[in-house]
Amino acid sequence: MTVVPAQQSGGGGGTSGLYDVVELILDRGLVIDAFIRVSLVGIEILKVDVRVVVASVDTYLRFAEACNRLDLETGQKKDPGVPDLLGEITESGAKGKSKGALSGAAETISDAFKQSREEGERQSEERPRARRSTTSRRKEEKE
Amino acid sequence: MTTYVYGIASSSHPSLPDGMEGIGKPACAVRILKQGELAAIVSDAPEDLKPKRRDLLAHQNVLSEAGAAGSVLPMRFGSLAPDDETVVSVLGERADHYTERLRTLDGKVEYNVKASHNEQAVLHQVLAENPELRAMVEANQRQGGGSHEQKLQLGEAVTSAVRAREASDAVEVRRALEPTAESVAEGPEGTGWLANISFLVSRKSAEGFVAAVEELRTTQPHLELKVHGPLPPYSFVDPGPAEPAA
Repeated sequence: MTVVPAQQSGGGGGTSGLYDVVELILDRGLVIDAFIRVSLVGIEILKVDVRVVVASVDTYLRFAEACNRLDLETGQKKDPGVPDLLGEITESGAKGKSKGALSGAAETISDAFKQSREEGERQSEERPRARRSTTSRRKEEKE
Repeated sequence: MTTYVYGIASSSHPSLPDGMEGIGKPACAVRILKQGELAAIVSDAPEDLKPKRRDLLAHQNVLSEAGAAGSVLPMRFGSLAPDDETVVSVLGERADHYTERLRTLDGKVEYNVKASHNEQAVLHQVLAENPELRAMVEANQRQGGGSHEQKLQLGEAVTSAVRAREASDAVEVRRALEPTAESVAEGPEGTGWLANISFLVSRKSAEGFVAAVEELRTTQPHLELKVHGPLPPYSFVDPGPAEPAA
């Protein structure tokens, strides 16, 4: 197996990695009609983050407020967004390291790079820390 | 006894995960069923199997382990056969098809890329590109934020500009990464990303793919890219959803 350099920076797999590819596990993959499939009705893990911008009054007001807070002068002089992104790389880099590897076998890049602060907050609301660490601990123990 | 099926590999696969812990609690041990040139990676299935986090993770782990050493066709989560004999007979009946898919996917892995916008950065960008929007923002800022009407008006215009960027950035992500991939598949819809795309990448050129992702990060700093891989080729086992890369 080729070792891809970026795997080092991406951190381990962990359950957040699973969370991000769960739609592939549930919605892609080989289906054989001679087999049956378990019901996927009502599973909470399918709950999706809706991050794409939706046209609504709430969005309009949120964007208007965000624009009002923008510093247009610095925004034009500097490369847009770069200072913010650098801050986030440092932040999520540390997060990635603390997550720990899933297992030697799962060579998964879980790349939390450049994750926005807001997104991080939202995710931690949806996936309580306790649950995540329970799963990874369980993994380490290999019960 | 119901049989849970993880995936299909060649019977000459060098390191099938025989005995590994699979789904269920306590974990059911993974077994290998062979038929001719093919092998099915299976285990017993717990009663009332549901897509629990633990079981999804076990499914993924077994396939990652098998996929690290050789080509595997990953099953969708939750595939159950009435018994081992049914699995073996399916392998026999469709041997040609699965053998062909294994050969096609040999040495290839899936990378899934999800893109979203960094909100601050994309707002700066749309304002930098659009003097009218910038004038509206400046006018509102001078008036301490503007009236409710003005905010709505500005917000609507900005939303429309950001949505246009979402569409063009989705195209850009695909365009930038496609040349380093053998095949491309759009991810399942409705996940809320501006782009959710899977790329089938040869292990040998994985470094080139990762380098293309890094380049995209550098040239498009307003994009937040989440890359997952190498994964078993979930999106490429059936010729259906995949299409050849340009």
